[in-house]
Amino acid sequence: MRNVKRVKEISINIANLLAPIISSRDIIDILEKSIKKTDSRSVNLDFINVKFISRSAAHALLLMKERLQTKKELSFINTNEDITNMLRAVAANRIVPKSQKPRFNPEKTNIDSLLKKVLA
Amino acid sequence: MDKIVIPKPKNDSLLAQLGSLYYAFVNTKNKNNLEFDLSLLDWVCPLLILPLSAYINNTGNKYKINPSDKIRTYLEITSFPRGIDSISSFQRKIQEHKTYIPISVLKKEKGTQRERLEALFAEKIYKILGNIAGVQNAVYYPIAELVTNIFEHSKKDIGFIFGQFYPKKDYLDICIADCGRGFSDTYKEEKGLELSDSAAISEVMKGNSVKPEKERGYGIRTSKRIICEALDGGGFIMISGSVALVSENKRESLVSLPNFHWQGVIIAYRIPKPKGPIDISRFIE
Repeated sequence: MRNVKRVKEISINIANLLAPIISSRDIIDILEKSIKKTDSRSVNLDFINVKFISRSAAHALLLMKERLQTKKELSFINTNEDITNMLRAVAANRIVPKSQKPRFNPEKTNIDSLLKKVLA
Repeated sequence: MDKIVIPKPKNDSLLAQLGSLYYAFVNTKNKNNLEFDLSLLDWVCPLLILPLSAYINNTGNKYKINPSDKIRTYLEITSFPRGIDSISSFQRKIQEHKTYIPISVLKKEKGTQRERLEALFAEKIYKILGNIAGVQNAVYYPIAELVTNIFEHSKKDIGFIFGQFYPKKDYLDICIADCGRGFSDTYKEEKGLELSDSAAISEVMKGNSVKPEKERGYGIRTSKRIICEALDGGGFIMISGSVALVSENKRESLVSLPNFHWQGVIIAYRIPKPKGPIDISRFIE
């Protein structure tokens, strides 16, 4: 009989732990604490029933994954198409950040002139 | 006590609401014993009522509504001025009044409860707009990014959010506000930059984050693009200090607000009810 050492895997249900819409960066701290508490090296982050993740939260999540990479193997599972695309876009931008900043050239005015013009 | 009669907006446009907000708060800086009189108003929208709610919550100033005022019932239904800060109160309110969403007060300390309250708000907004492909993302993105900005930058642990759909006009108004340090002070305290309110808003819109990571600074700019470009015909107003950015009908203006100072940030936007699929993927960077 072969002695096979099985890797213990733990899943964390993101919607139950956090919320169905992951919006804020600071909420990822709660997830990080929860991951650190597990006694397994391999942790599945289960996105079932998570409908959306903001760009900011996706960025914080990827930073957390990088921080924990020597201690934990994190896998994202059951991500819907929108969440997958958001994570991929943010990860790509982290590796190759955009160098060109957008232009912003608004006209300048004051409230009285604007209201006179628009509400006349 | 200084009594401030809030002027009735000239029409129902976002700009007219900005005008009323401006004339309500002009010359109020450093005054701390105010009473806001809402008796001239027969209709209110989030850009006018949410900053007032945030201001009253933050300063303890007073307000007055006459028993016969037309808006009295509406303000009661929407929990003006205190708002609600729990999931159970939110659910109770939307059960009682299905087409009205209460003013929601998001408190950083509440952690996942706050996140779930915000999710309930966003889901309710999406439900009102209808199940059209891509609308979910277009609704959730700006709410999520603009709220997280409050807790990331304002140095205040409380944010306010409010929305109203107008079925006869077929558009939705949302306002998000905080009474924090505002953009100019954020750049000064985090990066040592002395910027006017106007220059600080410009930095925000160019994506120059106060945080060290290069790949940050997209939240507000992308939200504005989704509102004004993806949701074709949307309008966006952002106020910080004594300046407002107004983006509407493919025109963008930085508007000085003399003798007005909002300590913090107010963002209000209007989106027309989508008639067809929306794709925000080309705006995600």
